[in-house]
Amino acid sequence: MITLEHVSKRYQMGDVVVTALDDVSLHINRGEFVVVLGPSGSGKTTLLNLISALDTPTNGRIVIAGKDITQAKRFENFRFRRETVSFIFQTFNLFPSLTALENVQFAVDMRGNGANGAVPTLQSVGLGERVNHFPHELSGGEQQRVAIARALATGNPILLADEPTGELDFRTGVQILELLQSQATAGKTVLVVTHNREISRVADRVIELSSGKIVSDGVPQGGKAAIADLHW
Amino acid sequence: MKLGFWLRWSWRDLKARWLQVVAVALIIALGTGIYSGLGGQRSWREASNDASYSQLNMYDLQMKLADGSYLDYSDLQEALVDIEGVETVDMRLIVPTLVDASTADDTVLASGRIVGVDVHNDGPQIAKLYAADGRSLTSADAGTSNAFLESQFAEDNSLQVGDTLRITGDVALNLVGTGQSPEYFYVMVDSSTFGLGSFAVVFVSLETAQSLINRPGVVNNAVFTTRAGADVAVVQAAIEARMQERFPTVGATFNTKDEDAVHKQLYDDAKNDQATWDLVAMLFLLGAAFGTFNLTGRMVESQRRQIGIGMALGVPRHWLAFRPLLVGVQIAVLGTLFGLILGYGFSQLFASLFKSLIPLPIWKIDLYWPAYIRGAVLGIVLPMVATLIPVFRAVRVSPLDAIRSGNLVGKGGGLSWVVNRLPLPGKSFTQMPFKNVLRAPWRSFLTMLGIAMAITLLSMFVGFLDSFVATMDQAEKAYLHEGKDRVWVILDYFYPTDSTLVTDLEATTQPDGSSLFAQTETGLMLGGTLKNGNADEDIEVSLELYDGVAEGIWRPTLTEGRWASDGIIISQKAAKDLGVEVGDTITLEHPKREGPLAFRLTETAYTVVGLHDNPLRALAYMDMANAGDMGLAGETNLLVVTPINGADSDTIKQAFFAQSGVASVDAINDISEGFNEAIKIFAQVLTVVQGIVVFMAFLIAFNSTTINIDERVREIATMFAFGLPLRTVTRMQMLENLLIGLVGTLVGILLGWLVLNQFLTVRVEEQLEDFQFVIRIAPMTIITSIVLGVLTVALTPLVSIRKMVKMDIPSTLRVME
Repeated sequence: MITLEHVSKRYQMGDVVVTALDDVSLHINRGEFVVVLGPSGSGKTTLLNLISALDTPTNGRIVIAGKDITQAKRFENFRFRRETVSFIFQTFNLFPSLTALENVQFAVDMRGNGANGAVPTLQSVGLGERVNHFPHELSGGEQQRVAIARALATGNPILLADEPTGELDFRTGVQILELLQSQATAGKTVLVVTHNREISRVADRVIELSSGKIVSDGVPQGGKAAIADLHW
Repeated sequence: MKLGFWLRWSWRDLKARWLQVVAVALIIALGTGIYSGLGGQRSWREASNDASYSQLNMYDLQMKLADGSYLDYSDLQEALVDIEGVETVDMRLIVPTLVDASTADDTVLASGRIVGVDVHNDGPQIAKLYAADGRSLTSADAGTSNAFLESQFAEDNSLQVGDTLRITGDVALNLVGTGQSPEYFYVMVDSSTFGLGSFAVVFVSLETAQSLINRPGVVNNAVFTTRAGADVAVVQAAIEARMQERFPTVGATFNTKDEDAVHKQLYDDAKNDQATWDLVAMLFLLGAAFGTFNLTGRMVESQRRQIGIGMALGVPRHWLAFRPLLVGVQIAVLGTLFGLILGYGFSQLFASLFKSLIPLPIWKIDLYWPAYIRGAVLGIVLPMVATLIPVFRAVRVSPLDAIRSGNLVGKGGGLSWVVNRLPLPGKSFTQMPFKNVLRAPWRSFLTMLGIAMAITLLSMFVGFLDSFVATMDQAEKAYLHEGKDRVWVILDYFYPTDSTLVTDLEATTQPDGSSLFAQTETGLMLGGTLKNGNADEDIEVSLELYDGVAEGIWRPTLTEGRWASDGIIISQKAAKDLGVEVGDTITLEHPKREGPLAFRLTETAYTVVGLHDNPLRALAYMDMANAGDMGLAGETNLLVVTPINGADSDTIKQAFFAQSGVASVDAINDISEGFNEAIKIFAQVLTVVQGIVVFMAFLIAFNSTTINIDERVREIATMFAFGLPLRTVTRMQMLENLLIGLVGTLVGILLGWLVLNQFLTVRVEEQLEDFQFVIRIAPMTIITSIVLGVLTVALTPLVSIRKMVKMDIPSTLRVME
């Protein structure tokens, strides 16, 4: 589903060249729940940006769903994001002037054919009673669930989540993880970026980055845990 | 804490938003510039008027003998010279004429006036001549054909000193000088007709003027200066008494310096223009204040967490407020400095425009510092007040609320709930702009008001042109609804209608002997004054008498009443101002012939039998049956003719030019050409105003749009992250701007209409009292305002496309605040 071949990303910061990703190659299958783990500055967010075609690699090739996005034109990347990947952000990034339902409907309208219904999707994340509330009327966990519903409503096969529990308390964070895990079970490819090692315990696969390189790639240490076993 | 630290910090804030800062500063600059640059125009125009009138010794009092009356120079001099309070008296002879200003390519026979002045003893002593080119008249010119011409006419018709000027009767005059005289600083044919450049005022010696009309020794006009401290009204009363005593059969009318049409025009215009420019400047400054409010509001919002951190660190509130306030001060000072420079430029531009339009001999164009100081204070204070509000609000929140990160702050949807249940059309990204407008209601409202200010100015100015055009159109329609090609031939005196002179004139042929006229008609043209005891003022009118309606070349269209031989037809405006209606009785003061060259003024009561549709108040009409009341039964001084097919008004003018008994020849078409020329000049000025106003609307919209983009940068990045194309995001912003622009434009048009009404009502009452203005904003103006206002505002997001294209989406998405 997602293939990276010798991907590097370097930034020019004044006179200094910073290597964010260094010759990374990997393959992620459909329906995998993958956690990318690493400390701050390890390159995990850069990896997410490259996979979502928000950024382009300095070297290497990225093929997603059979399409080489490194060769794509700007408008093709917009279409790719519209039809292939969906985002979940740490800070939710909901539209404050839209209700929960409208935020999700926004994604549905944008996706066009292939999208799911906004109301059923909100119901599926447990917000059936809160559809007409504005973001500021919702708790952090509820806002993130709206954000997940927005991502799910597109019907896109890949979910990209950047520190999705970073702003949430433990209890709410667990709920969000359950939601994401259920999406992988349902056949979506879920890629979660986090610095929280505890979260990686529930993943099918953990890719650990350090200084832009993959330092480990495999099942979680000690085997996959149940969400109920998590604590942080 | 040191001031330098805060200054540096706030200066960095300023630099971070330099484009918006420049936009707001430019709006402040336009307001301050107009206020300071044009704020002093009344003062320097009045100072220039005063100095010019003083240098050329403008009269304090003028006496005009009744139409057709002449008195002997010596008799009048002797009667008036010893009147208490009179310092100097000058006798003059003023008669209409036709001036040939034709060039090799163009035949120009312009209406004009011969002003015979006493050139002896360095005269004229009163209402002197100022030679801009050549020389003034001297005693050596007495009785000669030397003449001095008003300079604007000379310039517009390329007449120069040394040229020969031909006037009615085909008389040649030698041009020895061109320049000004105080009664003609701004040439007006009468109180409601402007003649700058098209009406010739030719000064000759008194003897020459007398010779030109074959009436040696006569005068029909006298001007007076009064001794210091003398009451002009008392002097006038003494002169009237003396005239009554010495010349009981000769009537006279009087006007003071302040009642002189040109004098009144120059001073009233300066006063009204000042009120207009002050209003314009204030609207600009209000627009600037709204812009500053939006900008500082956004800046304060972006500094919210920093303010919270400051609170947490224990920094006193007034210091926390200091930083954003300093930004406000810096914007205001920057804008005001621009404005003062711009103001100087405006004042110079305006001054040079006036110098070319009104050739006063003295212009005192000084920098009027009080206006600059007032402009600077306003330019700083208004934006500062606008800054205070968001700053005050920001420093009053609790530190915990202020320090909270963006997504946890309870930023509501503003009033977007209002439209939440409305069935809005389209998909969610079509509906989103509607909600965004209501999401930040204050900003939307102030942006809308700013745009409304700009459109108010636009519709007010263009509406004034529309009203002017509509009024002129109505006048043109009134004049031209029939007899479109008619020509008025005004005779130099009253002649029996069956006299040889009149019949010869009626029988005038073309050079080949063929007929020239399809139709001819005789009439009378006289000055008069309408009076009604209950009204505040009397109204001077130009009275025309025609013989019934049956064979007439032209008769006025009546809006009420009928053409009847037993009454008078007046304008709707005159009826309104005098408080009379059809059927009421009104008093007409008019000349009545008492003997050869002697007319006294008498009052006769007439029934108002009709109201005509001409917006010019001073026009009144009667049937020739009433000529007996004027002692002019069977007499005429007006010949109305229409040319046969193939002949034009120039042919007629040329045919009459050399004939005796003809004072002037006017084609009715020349009036409409004069209207069109006036409109053309006005339209040019308005084009500049339009440009400035559209620029202001753009600046306000630009300011608002860039603030919106800054504020919603994460939302935009989210949309991009979800694959929403740039064109869709831009379209959403354009729709949002379009909504604000549309509401702002409609409010602006409404406000413009109200201001226009107020403006025209005041102007009509104070200055242009002889016009009945049709107050109108034309459909085309509304369409133009909407197109300019809405399009300018709606298209502004296009300017921000580059910023969105260059957006670093990942970084933006991760930004906490």
